[in-house]
Amino acid sequence: MNEFMQRMFFGDPSQTDAATHTDGLFIMLWWFGVFWFVLLMGLMVYWVIKYRRRPGVPAQISPSHNTPLEIIWTVVPSSSLLVIFLLGFWGYMDKITPAGDSIQLDINAYKWGWAMKYPNGAETTWTAPLANVEDPVTGAVLKGDDYPIFVLPEDTEFNLRMISQDVIHAFWVPDLRVKMDVYPNRYTGFAFRTPVLSADDQVINPETSEPMNGRDLVVFCAEYCGDKHSQMAATIRIVPKGEYAAWLQSVNLGDLPPARVGEVTWKSKCASCHSVDGSPNVGPTWLAGATYQGQTYGFGNDVILNNGQTVTRDDNYVRESILEPAAKVVNGYPGNMPSFQGQLSEDQLSGLIAYYKELAGVVAEDGTETGAGEETTGVDETGEDKTAGGGD
Amino acid sequence: MTTIDTTSGHAGHHDDHDGPYWDSAHGLVPKVIDWMTTVDHKKIGVMYLFAVLFMFFLGGVAALAVRIELLEPVRTLTETLPDGTVQTTITGQLFTTNPENMQAGNNVYNRLFTLHGAIMVFMFIVPSIPASLGNFFLPLQLGAKDVAFPRLNLFSWYIYVAGSIFGIASILMNGVDTGWTFYTPYSTTTDADHWRVVLMILAAFILGFSSILTGMNFIVTVHKLRAPGMGWFDMPLLIWALYATSIIQVLATPVIGITLLLLVFERIMKVGIFDPALGGDPVLYQHFFWFYSHPVVYVMILPAMGLISEMLSVHSRKKIFGYRAIAFSSLGIAAVSFLVWGHHMFTAMGELASMLFSALTFLVAIPTAIKVFNWIATLYKGSIVLNTPMLYTLAFLFTFSIGGLTGLPLGALATDLHLHDSYFVVAHFHYVMMGGTVIAMVGGIHHYWPKMFGRMYNETWGIIGCVLVFIGFNVTFFTQFFLGTQGMPRRYANYVDEFQLLHQISTYGSWILLAGFLVHLFNFIHSLLVGPKAPPNPWGGLTLEWETESPPILHNFHHEPLVTHGPYDFESVVPPHCDEKDYPLPDPADLKDHH
Repeated sequence: MNEFMQRMFFGDPSQTDAATHTDGLFIMLWWFGVFWFVLLMGLMVYWVIKYRRRPGVPAQISPSHNTPLEIIWTVVPSSSLLVIFLLGFWGYMDKITPAGDSIQLDINAYKWGWAMKYPNGAETTWTAPLANVEDPVTGAVLKGDDYPIFVLPEDTEFNLRMISQDVIHAFWVPDLRVKMDVYPNRYTGFAFRTPVLSADDQVINPETSEPMNGRDLVVFCAEYCGDKHSQMAATIRIVPKGEYAAWLQSVNLGDLPPARVGEVTWKSKCASCHSVDGSPNVGPTWLAGATYQGQTYGFGNDVILNNGQTVTRDDNYVRESILEPAAKVVNGYPGNMPSFQGQLSEDQLSGLIAYYKELAGVVAEDGTETGAGEETTGVDETGEDKTAGGGD
Repeated sequence: MTTIDTTSGHAGHHDDHDGPYWDSAHGLVPKVIDWMTTVDHKKIGVMYLFAVLFMFFLGGVAALAVRIELLEPVRTLTETLPDGTVQTTITGQLFTTNPENMQAGNNVYNRLFTLHGAIMVFMFIVPSIPASLGNFFLPLQLGAKDVAFPRLNLFSWYIYVAGSIFGIASILMNGVDTGWTFYTPYSTTTDADHWRVVLMILAAFILGFSSILTGMNFIVTVHKLRAPGMGWFDMPLLIWALYATSIIQVLATPVIGITLLLLVFERIMKVGIFDPALGGDPVLYQHFFWFYSHPVVYVMILPAMGLISEMLSVHSRKKIFGYRAIAFSSLGIAAVSFLVWGHHMFTAMGELASMLFSALTFLVAIPTAIKVFNWIATLYKGSIVLNTPMLYTLAFLFTFSIGGLTGLPLGALATDLHLHDSYFVVAHFHYVMMGGTVIAMVGGIHHYWPKMFGRMYNETWGIIGCVLVFIGFNVTFFTQFFLGTQGMPRRYANYVDEFQLLHQISTYGSWILLAGFLVHLFNFIHSLLVGPKAPPNPWGGLTLEWETESPPILHNFHHEPLVTHGPYDFESVVPPHCDEKDYPLPDPADLKDHH
């Protein structure tokens, strides 16, 4: 019965003890509410029918005041409310108090995406769509927007330290039954213990497209933050401890060629606003040669700024636009991009510039571009195809 | 309630004022000038009624548009075509004709839900019952000629209109996308080069003054203008509710006024108060904002509770159970309402503050629960008639109970961390605001329609409308509880596919709701045009407004009424203008046993 209630209300099972406590409290409150509601509505309906107006028959006399009854219906709900408060406070402390041995993860929120920094300074390179959808007409599997995957080991204590780069966001993991606001001027956070996996937990490895042992928990932004508020999501992926250690080694960006570092960085930090296939978005596309809104985009092409000036998109232009977005705003755009000063390493910056140039057909000087192309997934191939067509 | 006959025997004075209250000028232009310059609380109440209903219509259109957008999730899909090119398609985006630009659709959606919230809160629900029905019936129920400061009353209507014009101007300039809460730093940075955000903030600021002035006026009126013989505990419960409401309005509204003004300073002059980029603190804004906006929830619901007490008692011909408990719980709610604002910020505050505010929040539940128990107990052994106002009263008890009980998991900290800012909250406050205030107000308009406009409405169509509204409301909002617990955040233009079914049901419900309101609209128009003339006391009420004619004369009563019995003494008093055949009294011998 309890499990049925839990599925009905929450859809997915709870992932932590604290979340299970929350489900229990919610279901308890549900039955508490049902009891009072049925009692009150039952009396209401019964009396409305029984005492319906009959012509010529007066209302019967009954007391309009009864002290013992009124004391009972004040004291009984009051004491139940005290119990509910205590249970709620207890579960709350469970959710926000970190265990002594917990690992701190730094969450960075910005319009419109999430970044997570591991204790060794690494950031995830994995992305996946929240859902793959079948085309109703052709039956082909279509891919949705990509969101970052934060890989975490099973059965480990974590605590989050969250900060925002711009406005208020809120980090909500429905399966953990907890959210917390993310502010630009102070750290907030909560704590949780990742669940233990079973062999049934299978997810798709985004690098190999093979099934792997793991469990995905969706993250939503829950505090309204603007145009793409509803597309500000991420996935927390719980994996076996051994695989986590190996994965954390592999996300070291240092070994990749610069353009691939840039592409990975684009996916996790830039893709929510800047396309690489020439489609319009909140920010200008990076595909060279794409034209719309009176601008020709991409590396090497001139950009018309909102002050009427025209400058050429070169290495320094790109660097400045990432670190000081307000310095040069492209005409026709709101100019509300947050600064990534301090958010990106020098390797990531030069990687982004290399990737940006690759989209204009400018091959990296060390000649690794061809080799990298073979390793990459379908998305970059398409990016390169487009580049071939669009570069001018 | 009076021993003096107020409908006849008025020879010698006020002869020119004995027609309906609206009959004081002839010809269209003089009539318009008469209405625009009137200091009569009844005309001002009617003008408020039409103004707030127009705003309800505007906000309702925005709500329907929001629900239509949510019929389908929006998906950006990339598909690799056989020739290797990638095609991006967007499905389910209903607000933009340009499939390449999903941003435009999100932007329209964000503006619409902001409009819906801002209009419904600031321009509709805060003034709704007090300024319209309250203005009309507060002096009548007190046996007064008018409110204490009639010119101030007209002035507050003009302030209301001025504030609404600012709001509508902002909408015409493309509207704002801040959400009705204007949370910083989003509200200080969005649309930075436009005046429309400032206009909308100023609209809320100006509307606040209208609210303060009405509240002041009511407080003084209740203190000074009660009819002879009417002690505090002889006042109808609607007066108690309006009195408690007015106290909140006077005490809380200045806080939001200052806060919004600071917000405007910050936007225009870059004074750092709330925006961290300028050295401010966004949590400070939330504290200021909710210090007003939580008490104002009770500005919205207390007058509704007052109407429910009136309608329940009259239509079940039963003395209200626990009169003093209901009266004091109104004041209790008003007092505790100032101490619970932090429960909007459990995800923003530290442990100690969250703990205190959670505990205080449960305190405010107690007087509310007591009121519901009293209302249900009033039905016992009554003589209950199921007309439109009474059906709305029962619908209120149903939906408001759900609204109250679903507040418990939001007040408890552990569950709130999950449910905060989700559709569960959306459903909860719609059950309280719409299922509470709007349902009580529509019921109240039916209840007082004959008195205000001198004509009866068609009962059958009223009941049909009520049933449609009740069904539509529950279909629309009950589904949203499940959306929330399952993980749907609020203010989302797009959502993942698993939520689609519930969203669709909710949208279909909003159409049923629309049908219900349209039935009422046509019923009211029909009544104004060809409705039968209303008797002075169609429901057999005992409060003073039923003593005078329908519609009341300009000065309300021919003679100052004298109060000789309580407002709900149905077991011992035949209602004025009523035949004892239709309203038989119980055997006085029975009465003795109970007193």
